Order: sequence, then structure tokens, then C-alpha cells
Amino acid sequence: MIELKNDSLVFSFDQVHPQARLSLDLMRTLRIPDDDTTHLLPPGLGRFPLRHVDDFATSVPDQWVAHGGVMFPMYQSEAMWLSFDSDYLDRRDTSYPFAIKISSGKINAITGDTWTDHLTGDPQDYMVSPTQPWLDGFCVEKDVIRQFVAMPLGSGYTAEEQISGAAEHGGLQILVHPMKRAVFERRFPERDEQQVFYEMSSEMCFAEAEPMEIGLAPGGRMRQEIYEDPFDINDWDTAQASRCFVHIANSLVWRSITGDDPPTTPPTSREYTEAGFPWFDYYSDGETRLEGSRTLRKLKSVATLGQEKSDIPLPENDSIDVEHVVTIREGIGRDQVREGSF
Amino acid sequence: MEFGEYLRKRREELKREDPQFSVRRVAGRIGVEPSYLSKIERSLQPPPSEQTTRALAEVLDEDADFLLALAGKVSSDLAEIIRSRPRLFADLLRQLKDMPDHAVLRVVREVRDGEW
Repeated sequence: MIELKNDSLVFSFDQVHPQARLSLDLMRTLRIPDDDTTHLLPPGLGRFPLRHVDDFATSVPDQWVAHGGVMFPMYQSEAMWLSFDSDYLDRRDTSYPFAIKISSGKINAITGDTWTDHLTGDPQDYMVSPTQPWLDGFCVEKDVIRQFVAMPLGSGYTAEEQISGAAEHGGLQILVHPMKRAVFERRFPERDEQQVFYEMSSEMCFAEAEPMEIGLAPGGRMRQEIYEDPFDINDWDTAQASRCFVHIANSLVWRSITGDDPPTTPPTSREYTEAGFPWFDYYSDGETRLEGSRTLRKLKSVATLGQEKSDIPLPENDSIDVEHVVTIREGIGRDQVREGSF
Repeated sequence: MEFGEYLRKRREELKREDPQFSVRRVAGRIGVEPSYLSKIERSLQPPPSEQTTRALAEVLDEDADFLLALAGKVSSDLAEIIRSRPRLFADLLRQLKDMPDHAVLRVVREVRDGEW
């Protein structure tokens, strides 16, 4: 079951396990410069507002109603990232594990393959939470993604159009499977209370002229590790699946659809950096990283494609000089956050 | 339990601690004659109007919806909600009738999946 709670998508599988509950957030962020540099992680600037498509059935395209799901607003050339979070279970020393598959315009963000309703192990086309805390873009090389950047569907910039040649689907497609209950209980047995207590104590020290639909295009390069599934593909309870179509509306028409104002435009990378706010770096010591997809490697970034088209799709694409970096170690979610303010 | 009987028990319980919960004083606070309140308590009169029941609930520190239900009434705001979408809410209430409290308390709205 998927619910919308305070702009989070909450996937719960009570029928599998009462603790099988995953929150997925769509985070506002800075657009990193689309230049030759491989950038660090930009901050989260709060969640995008999410709405049920059904609540605005008369003001959105019929296809959106047919897809079902939810929608949120993005400005052209705005960036986003996806955050995965689930409750930490002290007595089991883990969060409940999930396999998460993310596509944009039905192009898989990890492999570049077209959408399927099942998990593929080779090449791995999904991520595992809690191992993977977030995803910021299309995985173009080992440890490098190209940031998710909003571009009008039909403009030719989106990954979907570059790979499939058509501007058909747009948005984001999400599929979540929980770990099988028996596997979870075998891999993560409950510890006795005393041991938990000991460890906790030690830790204490439609404007009509505007194109309405947005797709995600590959933006600047960012260092981000995408981890191999540390479990076995048969550990996932594929009989239990929740999937969600997330539509992206142009922020300029959000008010005419919903009556609400969209969030303001985020600061530019340069403004944020010059104000002295931090960028982030995250790494894991023990996890194997995926190699990155050949298909996605061929994608042209928005700036590159813009040059070829003699177009200026990214205003304020200035390079930056980052000095303030916060390094986050594996184990995000307990006491470390990737958030900025501006 | 009858509305009148419940009312009297509750009022007398409060009166043991505080004399202002006499029939006369409570009647005065809700704006009715003491004899009328006394007859309601003895079930010689049917339960009073929604407005008076709400006033009683406030004076006796009771839940208004609970007292209204005991009086066999549906509060006017709830009646209006049902009237606005009668089939939907009648259907919903009938479906919820036999569900345990914890299930009723967790009526959620799922994100709908469609045809991709």
C-alpha cells in the first residue's frame, strides 16, 4: 500500500511485516553546474509538494488520470533527488530492506533499459535501501551520476527522448519490493534488550503557453556511488509489489492545476556556495559499487545538447569553487542529515 | 443506559465534589427550567435539543458527540456531511460498522495505481 503523508510517499507492506515501511521523498535541491567537473552532493532544500492526481482529474491530461499516482511541480532546469528512508530497528540493528527500482520516462536510471515490472539481477536494475540512501540522477559511470534536471517533455533533452526517441511517458516510475519476511528474520534476528541498551548508551557519547509536462534530463556530473545488492535477488518478496507513477508538472502551471503556489525557485549553485553553505560527500567503506550503464553513458548532458542545438537551456550555469564540504559516512539517517538552508 | 439516567448519574457524581452541580444550578447554566431538567433525568421527557445537549455536555465535561448519540441524535455537522454525499457516506459507515476500533482509526487513502 502506498500513502501520501506530509509530501512523502510511504510504502508499507503490513501483510509481509509490520516494520516493512519505506518513505520516499522527492527533494528540492540546487542544480549543479553542467560542466566537465564531477561535483559533490548538493543539499536537500525540503520536499516538493506531492498531490494525488485524482484530486485534480479535470485539470490534468487524461493520460495522467489513466496512470494514477501522484504529481509535483518543477521549474524548467530545476534539479531534484530521491531520498529513501525507513525506521531504524534497534533490536535488529537494521532498517527493513527494500529493493527499489526507479525509472524516468520509463528509462531505468541505473541501467538505461526500458521499464519492466520485475527486478533484474544482471545487470542490476534496482537499488537496495538502507544501503543506498538516495539517488540524484542517471548512473552514467561507476561512481558518477548525471543529475536529474527538469526539461519540458518534447524538447529533446530528456533521457527518455535521447534513448527511446519518443516523448511519451515523462515523470518518474517507482517500484518497491520488501525483503521476504523469513529472509529478514533469518538475516537480522532480534537481539536481547540488554545488548541494545548497551550499544545505545555507548552511542550517546498550465499557464497555457507553458509546456505542461516535465521529463528528467541528464545534467551535471556528480560523484555518487550506486551499490550492488548485498543480499540475494531471491531474498526479495516479488509477490509483494507497490508501484507509483509520479507525474511532473511545470511549476508555471502548478497554480492553475491545484490553486496552490509552487515552491520558489532554488538558489543557484554559485549563490549557495558563496553564502558559505556546505556541499556533501558520502561514501561507504564496505559496499561494492555498480559499474554504470553503457546506454546511459551515451546520454548527452543538457548543456552539451544545448550547444549542439544553439540553445541556452540552463541559465546561470557558472562553475563553482567549493570549500565547505561535509563528509557523511555510511549509516545515514540516524544522526546525519544532508540538508541545507538558504 | 438511557440518556436521562446517565445524565443524573454523571451530575450527581460531580455534585458530590461540588454543590454547583445541583439540578437547579445546572439548569440555570444551560438555560432551562429545573423541573424540565429533572423530568429529562427521570426519562419523563425525551432528550432535549442538540443545542441544549451540547450545553449539558460542556457543563458536565462530557463529549458532545457521545451525549448526542445517547440521546439518539446525530450532530448537525455530521448530518450535513452525510447529506452532502449520502450514498458514499452511508456505504462507508455500513462497511465500517463491524470493523474493530484500530481498523476504523486507520482509514487511509491509498495512492492509486493505474494503467501505464
